[in-house]
Amino acid sequence: MAVGTLYTYSENWRAFKALIAAQYSGARITVHSVPPHFQFGQTNKTPEFLKKFPVGKVPAFEGADGFCVFESNAIAYYVANEDLRGNTVEAAAQVLQWVSFADSEIMPPASTWVFPTLGIMQYNKQATEQAKEEVKRVLSVLDAHLKTRTFLVGERVTLADIAVVCSLLWLYKQVLEPAFRQPYGNVTRWFVTCVNQPQFQSVLGEFKLCEKMAQFDAKKFAESQPKKEVSKKEKTPKELKKEEKKQEKKKEEKEAPDEDLDECEEVLAAEPKSKDPFAHLPKSSFIMDEFKRKYSNEDTLTVALPYFWEHFDKEGWSIWYAEYRFPEELTQTFMSCNLITGMFQRLDKLRKTAFASVILSGNNNDSIISGIWVFRGHDLAFTLCEDWQIDYESYTWRKLDADSEECKTLVKEYFLWEGDFKHIGKPFNQGKIFK
Amino acid sequence: MRGGTAMAVPVLAELSALEKTLGLPRSNKFSALAGERLIPILQTNEGPRLVGLVTIASYLVKQAKREQLLGTSNEERAAVQQWLEYRVTRLDGRVSGEEAGGVLRELSAYLQDRVYLAGNRLTLADILAYHGLHQLMAALPLHEKERYVNVSRWFSHVQQYPGVRQHLPSIVFLKNRLYA
Repeated sequence: MAVGTLYTYSENWRAFKALIAAQYSGARITVHSVPPHFQFGQTNKTPEFLKKFPVGKVPAFEGADGFCVFESNAIAYYVANEDLRGNTVEAAAQVLQWVSFADSEIMPPASTWVFPTLGIMQYNKQATEQAKEEVKRVLSVLDAHLKTRTFLVGERVTLADIAVVCSLLWLYKQVLEPAFRQPYGNVTRWFVTCVNQPQFQSVLGEFKLCEKMAQFDAKKFAESQPKKEVSKKEKTPKELKKEEKKQEKKKEEKEAPDEDLDECEEVLAAEPKSKDPFAHLPKSSFIMDEFKRKYSNEDTLTVALPYFWEHFDKEGWSIWYAEYRFPEELTQTFMSCNLITGMFQRLDKLRKTAFASVILSGNNNDSIISGIWVFRGHDLAFTLCEDWQIDYESYTWRKLDADSEECKTLVKEYFLWEGDFKHIGKPFNQGKIFK
Repeated sequence: MRGGTAMAVPVLAELSALEKTLGLPRSNKFSALAGERLIPILQTNEGPRLVGLVTIASYLVKQAKREQLLGTSNEERAAVQQWLEYRVTRLDGRVSGEEAGGVLRELSAYLQDRVYLAGNRLTLADILAYHGLHQLMAALPLHEKERYVNVSRWFSHVQQYPGVRQHLPSIVFLKNRLYA
């Protein structure tokens, strides 16, 4: 039975194959996916790593006995047992057939279709449409095969099921909405059964099938591209460091063009598991979406504001005043606006549980950024995700007493973009709404 | 109906097979009550007589400490009970003719998007339904097996599940359809 260390970035679907196989075989695998043990893009470029794994890619496996192997399918094979590999030569050949099928037939169209929906690849209508057709073809093949079969090879789960399920994970998560997958009921039956086996569950967690087909995430894609107009001066140290890393990676890319996919996958890997960080809070009567609809579609003063105060639940939600800590660094107003919208983009995942009106007051070289934020719960959520921390450290945050006059005034002024803004002492220039 | 070896009475043979499936030592003594149908009985050491297939089978599962075979969540446990009841009320005594067709149609529709009868794992429901359908499936011509493809797929899977088949003959299913 294999014992050893698996190097990978976290949530790598290729590494899942080995980890699920190990759940079946009992192989003892230690995962090194985070610093100090492993930093994707760095550790795997060190001479020491390259000596063991010349391709420099992950996942890579190092046995306790010093045995090294790279390529995810090979690792999964190594940590598996006889049942998973196929008990006869014929079964083993069929397992290999489906493992290869996953790589050569499923992954290319799946990536073309899914990556743009995650905002990590540019959308190309023609390519996406072609990929959809390819996916249909692949699903038809699987569906016909699974009509008379419970699992792909024999009557037990094998590496074939593990590899093909893993290659379909993102499709079933992002785009295979009920109507699209309806003709492939046999595939879905098999897929659902697999991901609900305890051995899969312990690696994948609870798997939720796609309900609505995700479309190209243009905003996220734009955000992931290096920005040009924002000057370095305005960036927080963390942001700068990130930028540097990106540029380093750019250089590497020129040397090794197929690193592109890996970078996509790294971003993909950075997708947090879909768990609700506010799940522990009691249900709230204040429906944020409803308020946002009122705010977007109806008059702020006569409808949205009264609605807000009538329904606001001060137990379940909190109101905060935020002010940019380095006003002396704010120069051109358009740059300051980029700073605000950049922050909004990085906080994208907070949209469901937050609302904000952030305004820029004053003019070039004499301005200030401030805002009113409404958050779920009574703590700032920023610490939950690294992305969210980039900006918040540049602001001072003050929780307001929802019943106070000050709070009522501020909410009114910021939601309306009108008023004295006495605490600022500079005229309103422009505002941005986070919703 | 005492007398005759247990193996001669299908329901008692089934319980013996279940003991083996569960890996229990063969220490239980089964007998059967004659009536309209044969009702199995188990005299336990400490307690009362247990009467009826489902009662005894569930008891054996617990004796073997394989409770997960009765379901792991409340919903799953309820579903297992439902199919155990189905086995006794719907399958037993209906192994031919019109009624058999009805049962196969029902099951095939149900199993279209499921691998197992309850939840995502093999449970006692599958094992007892397998036993309850064996005679029917054995007599089914090939084109009928293809007609009820979901039942066939399920049956083929369950009969090859380690430990389930026991004394019953393996039934042949073709994975590549002839009458598609």
